[in-house]
Amino acid sequence: MHELGLARSIAGIAEENAKGRTLKEVRVAIGPLACVERGALEFCWGLVTESTGIAGVELGFLDAEGDTFVVRELEFMEEA
Amino acid sequence: MCGTCGCADPANEVSMTNPETGVKTVLNAALGHGESRSDDHDHDHHHEGDDVPHVHGPAGEIIPLEAAILGKNDKIAAQNRGWFEGRGVTALNIVSSPGSGKTTLLETTIKMMNGKIDIAVIEGDQMTANDADRIRDAGAKAIQINTGAGCHLEADMIASAAKAIDPKPGSLLVIENVGNLVCPAMFDLGEKMKVAVISTTEGEDKPIKYPHMFRVVEVVIINKMDLAPHVDFDEAACRANIAEINPGAEILCLSAKTGDGMDAWCKWLEQLATSSVSETA
Repeated sequence: MHELGLARSIAGIAEENAKGRTLKEVRVAIGPLACVERGALEFCWGLVTESTGIAGVELGFLDAEGDTFVVRELEFMEEA
Repeated sequence: MCGTCGCADPANEVSMTNPETGVKTVLNAALGHGESRSDDHDHDHHHEGDDVPHVHGPAGEIIPLEAAILGKNDKIAAQNRGWFEGRGVTALNIVSSPGSGKTTLLETTIKMMNGKIDIAVIEGDQMTANDADRIRDAGAKAIQINTGAGCHLEADMIASAAKAIDPKPGSLLVIENVGNLVCPAMFDLGEKMKVAVISTTEGEDKPIKYPHMFRVVEVVIINKMDLAPHVDFDEAACRANIAEINPGAEILCLSAKTGDGMDAWCKWLEQLATSSVSETA
C-alpha cells in the first residue's frame, strides 16, 4: 500500500509545476511493470489532495511501456 | 494517516538504532493529518519557463512534464551506488516474504565467513531491533532501521544507515529489506543487486504470484531445504516457476539451519566481493 506515498509525490510535482495556475487534470503515464495499482492510486489521490490547493483536480491515466511511471502532462483550466 | 503506507498509526516514524550503543536516531518524524512530505522535495525534474512547447486541449493549456514520480528516491539511490563503488563496498538488497529465513541465512553466513570478508548489515523492519541484535551476536556490525508503518526501505534511509555503519573497503554491505514481496521491488536503494529468498514452506508458486519482485532479482535462494520432504516441496516446479519469470536468475538451494548448501552461497559472495574490489582498483 505505497500508493499513498506515490500520490503525495504526484501532488507535490503537480503543485510545484503549476506555479499557482489552476489545474484541471494531472495525467500520469503508467507501464505494466511499474507495480502501480491505478484504483489504489486514484483512491489515495482523493485523500491527499482534499483540503489542499489542488483539491478537485482530476487524476488521469495514460498507458505506457515497461516500468514507466511519470507525471506526463498537466492540463490547466481555461483562463478568462 | 501515515504518509508511507496509509495506516492510521499516529506513532508512525522512521528510526535507526545502533545495537552496540543503543542510540536511536529519528530519520523521519511522524506525519500528522494533512501534512505533506513533498513540501520540501527536490525532485529531479524540469523547471520549465514560458517557452515550453505546449498544446491547447479542450479546456486549457496542457504542458508536458515527464517528471519521474520516484525521481527523488532514484537520485539518492544513484548517490548511494556511487558511494559504495567508490569505497569498493558490495551492497546487496535481500528481499523476501516475512519468515523466509533472511536473518538466519545472514547469521550462518557471518559465522561461516568467520572474518574472511568483512560483513555489515542494515536491518529493515517495521518495529523492534531484534534482527540487528541477532546479527551483532553472530559477530557482524549491524544497524536497525524501523520503518514504523512503512512497508519497504527507501534510498534515503540507506544513505543515513550506510554512513552510520561505515563499511570498510572490500566489505559486503547486506541490506535486509522489510519482509514484503511487493513494494521493495519498486525502490532502488543503490545496491549492486537484489537477492530474493524463498523458503520451502511457502510453496513453489511464490515467483509467479509475485512476478514484479522476482523479475528484478539476480539470485534466488531457496531456503529451508531440510524441511522440503515434510512439506512436499517440489524443487523442479519451483525452479521452473523462477525460470518462467526470470530465466537469467541464478538459483541456490540451501538450509541456513543445517548449513547444507551454504558453501556454494558463501563462495558466490566471496567472488562477488572480490570482483567489486578489483573493479575499483
